[in-house]
Amino acid sequence: METMNFLLQGFAVALTPEHLMFAAIGAMLGTLIGALPGLGPANGVAILIPLAFSLGLSPAASMIMLTSVYAGAMYGGRISSILLNIPGDEPAMMTTLDGYPMAVKGKAAEALAISAIASFIGSLLATIGLIILAPILARFALHFGPAEYFALFSLAFATLGGVTGKNQVKTVVAAALGLMISTVGVDITTGNQRYTYNILELYEGVDFIIAIVGLFAVSELLFFIERHISEGAASATLNKLNLKMSDILHILPTSLRGSVLGFISGVLPGAGASLGSFISYSLEKRIVGAKGYFGEGDPRGVAAPEAGNNAAANGALVPMLTLGVPGSGTTAVLLAMLISLNVQPGPMLFTQNAELVWGVIAALLVGNLMLLVLNIPMVGVFVKLLSIPPKYLMPVVTLIAAVGIYSISNSALDLYFMVGFGLMGYLLRKLEVPLVPVILGMLLGPEMERSLRHALTISDGDWSILFSSGLSIGIWSVAILGLALPYILGPLLRRRMENARARMEVEEEAD
Amino acid sequence: MIGDRILGILMLLLAVAYGWEASQFPEPFGGSEAVGPETFPLLLAVIMGFASIYMIVKPDPDQEWPGTKTLFDLGFVLVLLLIFAALLAPLGFVISTTLMVSVLCWRMGAKPLPSGLTGLGSAVVIYLLFNFVLELHLPAGILKLT
Repeated sequence: METMNFLLQGFAVALTPEHLMFAAIGAMLGTLIGALPGLGPANGVAILIPLAFSLGLSPAASMIMLTSVYAGAMYGGRISSILLNIPGDEPAMMTTLDGYPMAVKGKAAEALAISAIASFIGSLLATIGLIILAPILARFALHFGPAEYFALFSLAFATLGGVTGKNQVKTVVAAALGLMISTVGVDITTGNQRYTYNILELYEGVDFIIAIVGLFAVSELLFFIERHISEGAASATLNKLNLKMSDILHILPTSLRGSVLGFISGVLPGAGASLGSFISYSLEKRIVGAKGYFGEGDPRGVAAPEAGNNAAANGALVPMLTLGVPGSGTTAVLLAMLISLNVQPGPMLFTQNAELVWGVIAALLVGNLMLLVLNIPMVGVFVKLLSIPPKYLMPVVTLIAAVGIYSISNSALDLYFMVGFGLMGYLLRKLEVPLVPVILGMLLGPEMERSLRHALTISDGDWSILFSSGLSIGIWSVAILGLALPYILGPLLRRRMENARARMEVEEEAD
Repeated sequence: MIGDRILGILMLLLAVAYGWEASQFPEPFGGSEAVGPETFPLLLAVIMGFASIYMIVKPDPDQEWPGTKTLFDLGFVLVLLLIFAALLAPLGFVISTTLMVSVLCWRMGAKPLPSGLTGLGSAVVIYLLFNFVLELHLPAGILKLT
């Protein structure tokens, strides 16, 4: 009952005209960003953070706008998966399996509409799951001491590579690098200068917003230049939508199953959206069995991964909001937003900033409804965006990223740092070192160090305190499992996902 | 192979330098305690050290690196962005942005005229949007009317 009251309060926050406007702007921009070639959700949110920051938006307004961008980008991203068989990011890979064959058969509009409906169901159910699960988890997390928190932060890094992660050692290197950058600046506890070399600008540390924009947006530009991608996709055509109520009812059970699976894999550390969409698709294929025609344009093959994918994305907000531990790139970027607004995520968030949290949760519901209403009639406009040539688009996107950074403190030095981080991001990506742990390291570093110090001060320097309670041992075991599991499961899962795609391509050539 | 090894060596050097410097931190005011400003950095240095040694010993196969011409292009873009940052305040937003975006479009394969128009258009639109709608002031530079 208490939860219902909070939720109603949340709606009171989300439904103010100002916040509704920000949700609508976010949803529009997000879909745009998702539909444009080469800009994933994490990228889009990253570019918009400095703007939200320097415009001085309130925490609630910024979060509402950016979560809408996040949801919108997922909607937009599937347009290229279905029409062009180009998945925007890894989780979208499963959508191409049946989405593209549908488009080939001249049912692109139906495939897009089904994916929009399935995504809506996925997000809706996952938001309800979030409403039920988050307060429980937050209450539980109040029992955590500094040692448990230190273990939890380690767990976040250990599982960040995900079950499909390739080289865990590189995740460790990336995390250590990020954490090292986070120690630059004046030490909060003692006032000691660390790694500042008497450069005044370094006293406050390296701003992670600059790092995020550089690592994501500038390195993306460099990749476009390296691959000489300059022309847009050939304009895709869209048929007239012909969707009957029975078609929607047909995919309903599939969407519901996919949502539940997706939500679970979103909440679990390390599973994430890729696994969510993969499991949903595989399970659906098994349940429907010979009655379906999966891989040849079965609508259920579009609905299952889309519901799973979106449910997982919203499920990932549960650990981010309650524990302050994000499980994916985009939630890490959202966490960056919260921290730079001086809102400390974690279990206290639900008591101290109840209005903000519930406002954001309510805004998720409103935003998703808005997206559904927006997407079905306007999909034609977004399809046109696919053919914008990157040779004009990427320079303008880079400009917007740079202006955002510049507007934070009007300093050219910040821009030099951004370019530096861009180069670093490019080199790391070339060496297949993941970037998200670097960012997460910069974000979580101060908090992680504080909990370590706190724990060691309590025990007077005895390191065994980190492994002294049952709870912390449990968290450490999961962390070790998270590091080890990808070596066993990773190759298997990746091979299956690739096989499924390869099989489809072979069949396509045979046609 | 070689890429990972180089990164491993660099990271190992970083870990050693970083850890050594942490051990040299002056004792904090009020005397040293069980944990100080150096504890966490030292832990990080050890972790980074082990991970980078592993990378040197067991490197992954290399990705394909671009040829000299593309590397030159990439370097050109980075320098262009740095020049943009340096010129932004003295020359003003509109001029430096027009230059940066136009040259970037052109380097990415667009024809000169459309490149210039994209540059000028985006510069003017964003300048007006920021200064008058969002009220975030971008430097006017030498175009200042007053």
